[in-house]
Amino acid sequence: MAHKMKDVAKKFLLLGQCVPTVKQNATKIRVKRLELDENLLMYFNKDEFYYCHDPNKMCKTGDIVLIKMLPHKLTKLITHEVQEVVYPFGDVTDPVTGKKVAKARYREDIDREAELYGKLQSAFDYDKAPARGWQEGKKDFTAKPTYTGFHVFDEKDPYAI
Amino acid sequence: MPFMIGRAPIRRTAKYLSAGKLVLKDKIKIFSVAYNIMGKNNAGAKDFVFWYLPQIQYKNPDVQVATLKNLTPTPFIRCYLEDGKQILVDIDNKSKEDILEHLLHTVGKSKDILEAEAIAAEKKDNPANFGAGCDRACMCEIYGQVPCSGVVTLPKAMRGKFKNADR
Repeated sequence: MAHKMKDVAKKFLLLGQCVPTVKQNATKIRVKRLELDENLLMYFNKDEFYYCHDPNKMCKTGDIVLIKMLPHKLTKLITHEVQEVVYPFGDVTDPVTGKKVAKARYREDIDREAELYGKLQSAFDYDKAPARGWQEGKKDFTAKPTYTGFHVFDEKDPYAI
Repeated sequence: MPFMIGRAPIRRTAKYLSAGKLVLKDKIKIFSVAYNIMGKNNAGAKDFVFWYLPQIQYKNPDVQVATLKNLTPTPFIRCYLEDGKQILVDIDNKSKEDILEHLLHTVGKSKDILEAEAIAAEKKDNPANFGAGCDRACMCEIYGQVPCSGVVTLPKAMRGKFKNADR
C-alpha cells in the first residue's frame, strides 16, 4: 500500500538511534522529533519508534543511523529501511576533519597525552580491539531489551533483572 | 505574554516564531546540529540552538530538526537532502549571527522565492469567487444580483414553466 502524501513529506528520510529489540528480522530505531505545544508555544522532544529493514545487520544498539521510507511496506510494522550508519556507537568520525574522536577529544590527542605521561600496557588500544559485538550474549546484553523477571525460572535469563 | 517564565520566554511567542528568517529549501529533510555543552568554541553553536532552532522548526514543520550533543570536539551542522546528498557546515568559533547568515545564503530559500511563494498563496483565495468552500455560497447573496428564487418569486419572463407553456 502506498503511503499518504503527508506521511511521505514528514517521514521520508529520518535520523534516529538504534534501540534494543526482541524482533529478529528488524531493527528498532528511535527518532526524536520536536513537537510544538500549542499553549506554551514550546517545542518538546517526542520519540517515534520505527521498525526498519536491515538485511546486512549493519546497525547495532546505540548507533545513529539514517533511515529511508520504503516505497511499499514490507510488513505491517516494517515501513523504513536503514540507509547508512552515520555515527557508530563509540567509533565516531568527525566529519569536519575526518579524524576519529572519543566524545570531546581527538583520539590522536589522547594517544599523544598518554605517551607523554607514560602509556600503560593495559590501556585500551583502538587499533587492536576486536569489532563491536564479540561479547554479545556473554557480557554485552544491549541487543535485546531487559525486563523485570518476577518469576524465578531454573534457567537464568540474563535479560531478566 | 501568558506563562512567560523561564529563560528568554520571548522565544515562546507566536510573533517571534513566525519572524524566523531561515526557510530551508524543499530538498532538505533533516537538519542536524552537533555541538558540545562545554568549550568556548561551542558558544556560538549553543546560542544558535537556544535562539534560532525553534524558529527554524516553526518555519519548516516537515523537516526533522535534530540536536546531537557531545559527539565531536568541534561543532557542525549537517543537512541531509532527499537525493542522498549531505551539506556539512563547520560552525567552530562562529557567532550565532554568522551561522544564521551562512545558512541563509547556502541552505535557505532566497527572499525572491519566499515573496513569490507568498504571492502565490494569496492568489488562491480570490474573494470574488462564490460557491462551495468560499465566503459566499450563491450568486444570490451578492449585492446587485438577482435575489434568491427561494425567497422572492422570479418574474414570469424568467421562469421556464411560463416561457414553455402552450397558450
